[in-house]
Amino acid sequence: MKRRDFIQRALCATASSAMFSSFAGKLSIAHAAASPRYLLGTGYRALVCVYLYGGNDAFNMMVPTSTAGYAQYQEARGDLAIPQASLLALNPASPPTGGGTFGMTPAMPLLRNLFNQTQSPLAIASNVGALLYPITKAEYQAGSVPTPAQLFSHSDQSVVWQQTRADAPDRRGWGGRLADMFYASNTNQQLSMNISIDGENVFQAGDEVIPYFVGQGGAEGIWYVEPWQADRRAAFIALRDAAHGNALQRQFASVVRRSMNNQVMVNGALEGETPLTTTFPDTHLGRQLQMVARLIHVRNTLQMQRQIFFVGLGGFDTHDNQLADQAEQLTELDGALAAFYAATSEMGVANGVTTFTASEFGRTTSINGDGTDHGWGSHHLILGGAVNGRRIYGRPPDLSVGGPDDADWGQIIPTTSVDQYAATIARWYGVSPGDMSTVFPNIGRFATPDLGFMGAP
Amino acid sequence: MNNLTIRILVGTTLLAGASGVWGADHVFDAGFDHRSEGPYSSGDAQRFLTQATLGPSMARIANLESIGFNAWFSQQLAAPASHHRPYLEAREAAGDDVYQNIRQEAWFQFAIQAPDQLRQRVAFALSEILVVSDQSGAIEGEPIPMAQYYDLLVDGAFGNYRNLLEQVTLSPVMGHYLSMFKNRKPDPEENIRPDENYAREIMQLFSIGLVQLNQNGTVITSGGQPVPTYNQDTIRGFAHVFTGWNWANCPSSQPMQWWEFEYCPPGPVDWPDPGWDAYWLEPMESYDDFHASEESKQLLIYPGVSLAGGILPAGGTAQTDLQAALDNIFNHPNVAPFIAQHLIKRLVTSNPSPAYVGRVATMFNNNGSGVRGDLAATVRAVLMDSEARTVQPLASNSGKLREPLLRLTQLWRAFDGRADDGRFREWYIYYYFAQAPLSSPTVFNFFLPSYQPPGELSTLGLIAPEFQITTDTTVASVANILADKVFWAWRGNDDVGPEDIVVDLEPELALANDPARLVDRYDLLLMGHTMSNSMYNTLVTYLQSLPASDNDERRQRVQEAIWLIQSSPEYSIER
Repeated sequence: MKRRDFIQRALCATASSAMFSSFAGKLSIAHAAASPRYLLGTGYRALVCVYLYGGNDAFNMMVPTSTAGYAQYQEARGDLAIPQASLLALNPASPPTGGGTFGMTPAMPLLRNLFNQTQSPLAIASNVGALLYPITKAEYQAGSVPTPAQLFSHSDQSVVWQQTRADAPDRRGWGGRLADMFYASNTNQQLSMNISIDGENVFQAGDEVIPYFVGQGGAEGIWYVEPWQADRRAAFIALRDAAHGNALQRQFASVVRRSMNNQVMVNGALEGETPLTTTFPDTHLGRQLQMVARLIHVRNTLQMQRQIFFVGLGGFDTHDNQLADQAEQLTELDGALAAFYAATSEMGVANGVTTFTASEFGRTTSINGDGTDHGWGSHHLILGGAVNGRRIYGRPPDLSVGGPDDADWGQIIPTTSVDQYAATIARWYGVSPGDMSTVFPNIGRFATPDLGFMGAP
Repeated sequence: MNNLTIRILVGTTLLAGASGVWGADHVFDAGFDHRSEGPYSSGDAQRFLTQATLGPSMARIANLESIGFNAWFSQQLAAPASHHRPYLEAREAAGDDVYQNIRQEAWFQFAIQAPDQLRQRVAFALSEILVVSDQSGAIEGEPIPMAQYYDLLVDGAFGNYRNLLEQVTLSPVMGHYLSMFKNRKPDPEENIRPDENYAREIMQLFSIGLVQLNQNGTVITSGGQPVPTYNQDTIRGFAHVFTGWNWANCPSSQPMQWWEFEYCPPGPVDWPDPGWDAYWLEPMESYDDFHASEESKQLLIYPGVSLAGGILPAGGTAQTDLQAALDNIFNHPNVAPFIAQHLIKRLVTSNPSPAYVGRVATMFNNNGSGVRGDLAATVRAVLMDSEARTVQPLASNSGKLREPLLRLTQLWRAFDGRADDGRFREWYIYYYFAQAPLSSPTVFNFFLPSYQPPGELSTLGLIAPEFQITTDTTVASVANILADKVFWAWRGNDDVGPEDIVVDLEPELALANDPARLVDRYDLLLMGHTMSNSMYNTLVTYLQSLPASDNDERRQRVQEAIWLIQSSPEYSIER
């Protein structure tokens, strides 16, 4: 037998719909025991976190275009400044706090068009960053108001962004905390409501909900223990499910168990899917978001009413060669997000799916030659039918070197906290005002817990 | 059935004999006159070789039992280093296009076949601490310089950590990966200030970590909060230190002009000999005109620090500042427990006791001859500690999840995996394993050393770094690849070609008629006699149910046994 045939034979046996229906019986039993408690809003709701690894330089994504604003930007950025003439004008319905006009990087024409259209599904939250309290430059320099520890470290700040609890150690991410709150409202109690197409992440880790990982081509099964290989499968399962005396053994067994059960369920559902007509770019992010779209497409088969997805794109740590490298990354982001929004429209769920960007920090306005270093505040994108689009929320910062928003070395002090950004999304997702401080313990420290970029729950 | 009965008796005896290592599995070791330092059993020899090499084989277990640990260490320390870079150059000379695939091929070649196994294993551990990665655009096109970087780790495995830190710092590969290369002194007029990347990571990841540690690795707290090791001023200080470094032999006027620094070429102008990019293989050199000499620099402060207040005075050269800064890092009290924990986690167990960490840190601080940072002595302390040499009780939750790469190397070393043409074309393993040599997604390695999976382990406060890449997807893909390697890629299969790496199952067939003895053999060869009776009985019963009337059927039994073990929870947690 050729290697390919061997694999093929194994694959043919995966996940028939008959197998899936055997799970459905168990699901309804599980559902009877669960009591949906948090259900603001009706219909399907999904969040999609698009994580930009490395710290996206959003100050080169949305650029001031007023004479004074561009001059500040150009002075700070020197050779790294995008020429004013090539910026794509943004036409917000009303100017942002503090006024000014802005343009989008020429790498993102599709999102620029979505932003400018009427009934726009795209909003920009400006200068969002990790904060413990609102803070001014004077307070920062005097050290009189606490800030998150290790402000400019990748690992630390990516955790802060995904947890929003910089001063209270918490393994859970805010997507995990939402899931712990909402998972009981899913009919399907076996499949995690948190699905990652990009592997491990803090954002989706909950106490009760452990994220499920799906590859760009679907969930992978163990080909050598498919049901038709009954005897080996029985031995494998006996070894897997033995009473293990060591907690690490039990953990490994539980990952294998979960993987096998969920693979049958997910691939069985995908197999029955009528393909979407929307085409996705064949890029790392495009393929991930296509899988998210397909999973949303089979939400009724999977009996999921609330879901949280995670996808990721690396390469944003542009210490060097930023102009070329970042443009490539943003082009990929542009194409993948635009296709994903089109797919949600095609499926008729655009109003129930909200996609947002996250990234550990922005980058310094000052440059180190041909790149930028780890910064702090940064702009972010929120996309979906329920988004109050064509607006820039929050006050865009002053980019001038040594200016009022410059912490010291070109790191821009955030004017909006991650807590506010996340809470605004969570409110639409269905968290009631009374429960908000459970999910975001620090939200009360900020004057505006709802930034307004999302429609009603 | 006879063997099943014996096995159960053995298990009972083991439980009764609480003192451990010199246990009843010695029954199987008749014929060895064990060395006084050990190993005292074939099981311990297997466990040691799993920790200290890329995987044991029956012959290597027997050899270690025969010569003892002391002679084994002497041989390994004396064995010439197997370097990876020449392998890539030979392939290039033979006309191959050399990309990162050939570097990975070299890694497997030496992992499976190099005699200097301890060195190769420690180098692999170091590659997961002093991380560079071909997933970075800055170095993805440089397989040969990356192989040379790996060779720094191979050479440094038994050297001094201070020296290794310096070589890593000055490697153009690291220089590009963490952007110290062409890092310039501040220029307020141009709003240019030193790049902080390397300054931050050399402290956080390569030497001391973020929080102050006791010598036993526990965290020092104040008011319930961990005490940080450094702050932003320190990062800026080191960022200024690491300025002025560029390719070797930059053409330069007096003083050096900015364009000469910025556009210094990566090789001599009279290429092609020795090559337009030859300086990728030379340590970076300093150019003082671009070094931040004017500023004094805040370095680390700790008890006994030799620089007053941790301040490096202005006026140094790039070279003298670098030396002072590396000394300042290297002498920080955190380095010993930090490196001790890392090496223990990579080689032995995820949750070492503080006492174990303390013993290894003591050796790092002083190898007995007054030398600090002796890695050979430190590695030996890691491996020869009683906590490493004794099988800990199951309920202690000791051990570690086997890394996917080490599962594969163990399989191939146990069953003589090789291709007919002698090469190891294992080029795309990352896709299945979420792991490949020098291919981590970030400088934080494939998994964080402090990672705790959600669920029971978290509740118990246990660390299990390797679980971070053990997802629903990878448990399946790793099991599938290992199955492929056993069920399909075996010597003699008509469908494999001369380029396929195949295991040799022929020597195994003799035992296939006797499943109990076959499983006994793999309990030793793959698991160091740690298999539970329950697992043993499940396997024997299953294998007995399979026919074994001809060699194809006997081979099938062997394949089933190996794969079911390698994909089981008991095997997966190396104890």
